[in-house]
Amino acid sequence: MILALDLTSDIPLYLQLRDRITEEIAEGRLVEGSALPATRALAADFGINFHTVNKAYALLRQQGLIRLNRKTGAVVAAAPVDPLFHAEWSAKARTLLAEAIARGVPADDVLDACQSMLASFQTPPTKDLP
Amino acid sequence: MTPGIILSSVLLALVLLLALVLPSITSPTVPFGVRVPDGHVGDPVVVAQSRRYRWRVLLSGVLTAVAGVGTFAATGATFLLPVSVLLLLGAWYGCFFLANQEIRAAKAAGNWYGGLHQGIAVDTGLRSDPPRFPWLWLAFPVAVTVATAAIGVVEYPSMPALLAVHYGAGGQADRLAPKSFGTAFSLVIVQVIVTLLLSVIAAGILRGRADLDPAHPQASARWHRQYASLGARALLGLAGMIALGMMGSSLLMWTGTRAHWAALVVVVPVLAGVGLAMVVLARYNREPQGTARETGLTHRDDDKFWRGGLLYINREDHALMVPRRFGLGWTLNFGNPRAGMLLAGVLALISLAVILRFGG
Repeated sequence: MILALDLTSDIPLYLQLRDRITEEIAEGRLVEGSALPATRALAADFGINFHTVNKAYALLRQQGLIRLNRKTGAVVAAAPVDPLFHAEWSAKARTLLAEAIARGVPADDVLDACQSMLASFQTPPTKDLP
Repeated sequence: MTPGIILSSVLLALVLLLALVLPSITSPTVPFGVRVPDGHVGDPVVVAQSRRYRWRVLLSGVLTAVAGVGTFAATGATFLLPVSVLLLLGAWYGCFFLANQEIRAAKAAGNWYGGLHQGIAVDTGLRSDPPRFPWLWLAFPVAVTVATAAIGVVEYPSMPALLAVHYGAGGQADRLAPKSFGTAFSLVIVQVIVTLLLSVIAAGILRGRADLDPAHPQASARWHRQYASLGARALLGLAGMIALGMMGSSLLMWTGTRAHWAALVVVVPVLAGVGLAMVVLARYNREPQGTARETGLTHRDDDKFWRGGLLYINREDHALMVPRRFGLGWTLNFGNPRAGMLLAGVLALISLAVILRFGG
């Protein structure tokens, strides 16, 4: 798994790391049960402070995407369906789409871009809720 | 012609060759130890500096060779020959530094990194599935060492009562020591220490941090994998060649053979080992440049951590060894306290070997 961070971006490094790992999960390179690298090892490989990695992992855990366990470290979790999440995500998506329209990108192009992005994500098998 | 003259001329020629070849086998994104973005790889300043550097190096080489041979012919002092090799090394660094400074100045003046996205990339696969330690290659130095020790044990009763432990400049034994376990097996101990040390460094290379190019991290990680295993194998091969030299020298000592070519028994395998390792690394030294830009990121400008363009000093970096930017293989992170300890260990080992064989 390749993780890349943009040092010159306005987005904080921990958020970038959270985004990259979320994308890896969506693309199916990380599946439920996959182990994430240990915080210190990953921080050393990036040459960044390990608190940055900790913060990203804490955020992922809060969002239910990973489990943190003293024994196994960080492991990708089966994300629970959260009714609150849908509203939150819709608001974010609305802003993103609005940005494209406001900048004059034709709606068809926006739709095409969304579709090709979705196609690049390997849709995980749907699971019955307990 | 004494072996000293031949050895010095060979060394001079090798240094000159390496100095001339290095710019074309180091990464084009780090010309003369200056990190430049992809768009400035063929910058006119870089091209002009490369040409100037080659002329300067060639001129320094010719001047040092003429001066070295001239003063030696006039005075007959043998120590002038190794001094000329050192002089050439100094001149080489001077040529490198001039090019480094000129390119840095052009980079700063032209704001080459302006508007670019500098990034860092990590391949977690290098941690979860690191390149394997080449155990088969370790068998080479281990087999030579075991064979030497076995021959020594078998031959011990028939060894002469006095063993030559020190050779003069002419290859004549000028110090003898009474036979004992310590004197007879001194070179076996060197074999063991060299094999251990080079194995540890090889393991360090395989576990070392990769410096991936975020513009094409996938290809970069693949190259790192291959280069690291190649480096580890080259080091173990070198350990085997050094062990062979020690074996030959031990056999001469144990049989009481005196010959003017005795020093060559050590020098030839060691030089051959170093030469082979360098050729192998040189052939794969340059990371293939990716054609497609996958990420829109460019390698971050890390010049400030490279003092004088060559010494890597970064206290915040936990890595002990990092890939060299100008040259072959890896270098130490001198901002890491463990680097000092490793260096002291290597120096102690070299002085031990020198004292055992040639010192006094």
